[in-house]
Amino acid sequence: MSASALLHAAMLRWLNELSSQGVFTTDVHLTVASWNAWLERATGVAAADVVGRPLLEAFPELAGRRLDRYYRAALNGEASVLSHGFHSHLIRVATPSGHMLQTARVAPLLEGDAIIGTITAIDDVSERVHSETQLRGRIAEAEHARGAAEDALRVKDEFLATLSHELRTPLNAVLGWTRILLGQNVDQEMMTRALHVIDRNAAAQARLIDDMLDMARIVTGKLRLEFAPVDLMAATLAAIDVVAPTAQAKNITIHKMLGNRPLLINADGDRIQQIVWNVLSNAVKFTPQGGRIDLRLGETAEHAQLMITDTGKGISAEFLPHVFERFRQANSSVSRTEGGLGLGLALVQQLVALHGGDIAVSSAGPGHGATFTVTFPLAAADDTQLTLAIGAPSRTLSGRRVMVVDDEEDWCDALAQMLKNHGAEVQVAHTADQALAMISSGDWPHALIADIGLPGTDGFELVRRVRELESGDGRIPAIAVTAYSGKANIRRALEAGFDQYRVKPISSEDVVAAVAGELTARDPREPGKAAGAISQGEL
Amino acid sequence: MELNTLQQDALKELLNIGFGRAAASLSELTGHRVVLEVPEVSIHPITALRPALARLDQEDVASVHQIFSGPVAGDALLILNHSAAGMLKQLLTDEAPLPLDVDASAREVLTEVGNILLNACLGSFGNLLRVQVSFSVPQLNLDTLHGVIESLTVNREGMRYALIVHAGFRLRDAEVRGMLVIVLSVASLDKLIRAVEAWEQAEGGR
Repeated sequence: MSASALLHAAMLRWLNELSSQGVFTTDVHLTVASWNAWLERATGVAAADVVGRPLLEAFPELAGRRLDRYYRAALNGEASVLSHGFHSHLIRVATPSGHMLQTARVAPLLEGDAIIGTITAIDDVSERVHSETQLRGRIAEAEHARGAAEDALRVKDEFLATLSHELRTPLNAVLGWTRILLGQNVDQEMMTRALHVIDRNAAAQARLIDDMLDMARIVTGKLRLEFAPVDLMAATLAAIDVVAPTAQAKNITIHKMLGNRPLLINADGDRIQQIVWNVLSNAVKFTPQGGRIDLRLGETAEHAQLMITDTGKGISAEFLPHVFERFRQANSSVSRTEGGLGLGLALVQQLVALHGGDIAVSSAGPGHGATFTVTFPLAAADDTQLTLAIGAPSRTLSGRRVMVVDDEEDWCDALAQMLKNHGAEVQVAHTADQALAMISSGDWPHALIADIGLPGTDGFELVRRVRELESGDGRIPAIAVTAYSGKANIRRALEAGFDQYRVKPISSEDVVAAVAGELTARDPREPGKAAGAISQGEL
Repeated sequence: MELNTLQQDALKELLNIGFGRAAASLSELTGHRVVLEVPEVSIHPITALRPALARLDQEDVASVHQIFSGPVAGDALLILNHSAAGMLKQLLTDEAPLPLDVDASAREVLTEVGNILLNACLGSFGNLLRVQVSFSVPQLNLDTLHGVIESLTVNREGMRYALIVHAGFRLRDAEVRGMLVIVLSVASLDKLIRAVEAWEQAEGGR
């Protein structure tokens, strides 16, 4: 044999035995002429069993799937590609996960210009297709993540626009009425009206900021809850009291089905009230004139459940899944009719979750109202002590002398007026030195409210000197009220001698309540534990 | 060499038979109604291919290439720009697109599409000339248009011409455009045109 004939024979042997493709040939009558080892292994059909048999008889599926035409075309000179995308496979090969995906090529075999048969080459593309599918999946995931991120950015942008609008609106009212008051010819009636407007708007703004701060604390995991047994019914009644005036103004009827006994849950009382108030005021906000709100309180073996149903504007099916998302509002356009930041319900959901509870919403669609269902785990049976975390302590300050030290004159005046309204006698100082001078002259107050950031001697130093000047058993309550937050400041304040630390913004009523609480705790006629609570200081 | 109106009409009519056959195959394979637009035909010397292919718009192209041999011999290509290739593949298979260079499955599907169209057109020529034309297995290449033209012109002897056919695939309310390029020697082209003329006269006279 010549060298080239030897090589030719070796190539055929290689194709037959070692090729990583399936290769078979037929003659012009489509009788199988060769069947390589790859095909034997893949199909389990031995060459001895198929060579010499008509292809279409050995594999009737080929004609069944009209693939015989590619062989007829090959006998007519045409070469064809059969992609797995269109045909899945040529010769069916079962695999554990289904069947092998194949791409095949069918071509004529020529001797000179004459066609003497056909050749078929088959590639197993299963693995490749699998990795393409995975790649496609990963790309889709990445696209989805990008879409979600863009969406979140857009929602945040809208939130910022809403935020500036929401902060500006009450501010405009405050500024407008303040200018009127500063002008001439203000009678008592107008003065009262102006102060009411200012009070309402400032409170609204403080609430917005509180919501944001709460959300920030939750997001950073810094919200601290003080758990104690709380009566959900009392909390609900308290929340109803708060929204009652607004509901009345809109002629909305509130129906209470609260049962007749306390429903104790282990919770942070202030937060529970915040939760109920938020959901309830939301219902009032979205319920039109003359509407109705139903409150139902119930319990199962392990849970207390509050359902708030309104006849309001309802929620569309598209928005329903997003109700509790931060910064989301069904109508985020500037022309929307309802105010708010879109934080309230997100905050509620987070707070409920922190209590181990659950909140759900349902609505039959726009115009059909909505139902919010809040569920909390019931307090364990041995939590028998009922602590109502709601309701203000005694505010009677009559006969008490309270010293207010703050360099912000407006705040000082407001606080002094509020303390006076509660019967207190008030001493005002704008610097620590002024305050110390008053105390040194023997004019001892019953309680001290002081800012930290004072010009000259600061609040820390002030309370330290006061403590030095005190006689052994005459420790007066001292409350720090300041814009400085942060754990370090709180610790420093308590170490310096303050009993409580409150972060502005805080209503003057809260300060009054805190003073009253401290005084009551120290009064031998009303014995109680000495309070050293930290409030709002975690941020 | 230029085609007169009669020759152009005759070639169009002949190619239309091939296009019809290819459209029927594609419709059957995909389960969607595929229509191949009535082709537009022109002839250009191989050295002046570039302006004739300007309609492809993009430099990056996918081309399905088959060599045919026999009494009439040459190269046949379906050329699609990348956007058209991606779109056609997605329309045909419903799969989310990947870049063509990492999507071997898409390249195979496009190879088969080109294969069907080229086989149908060249098959019509073979039938007309009553000659046996044999085809190579199709190859898909991702290249620049410049590279494709280069591969057709280098190391080839003799004056050669290209039959350029505009192909428009219409399916699922979308349209994808490509170019069919059939490169022939002067002798082969002459033979083809004369046969087409004779066929047209016979058809017309019937």
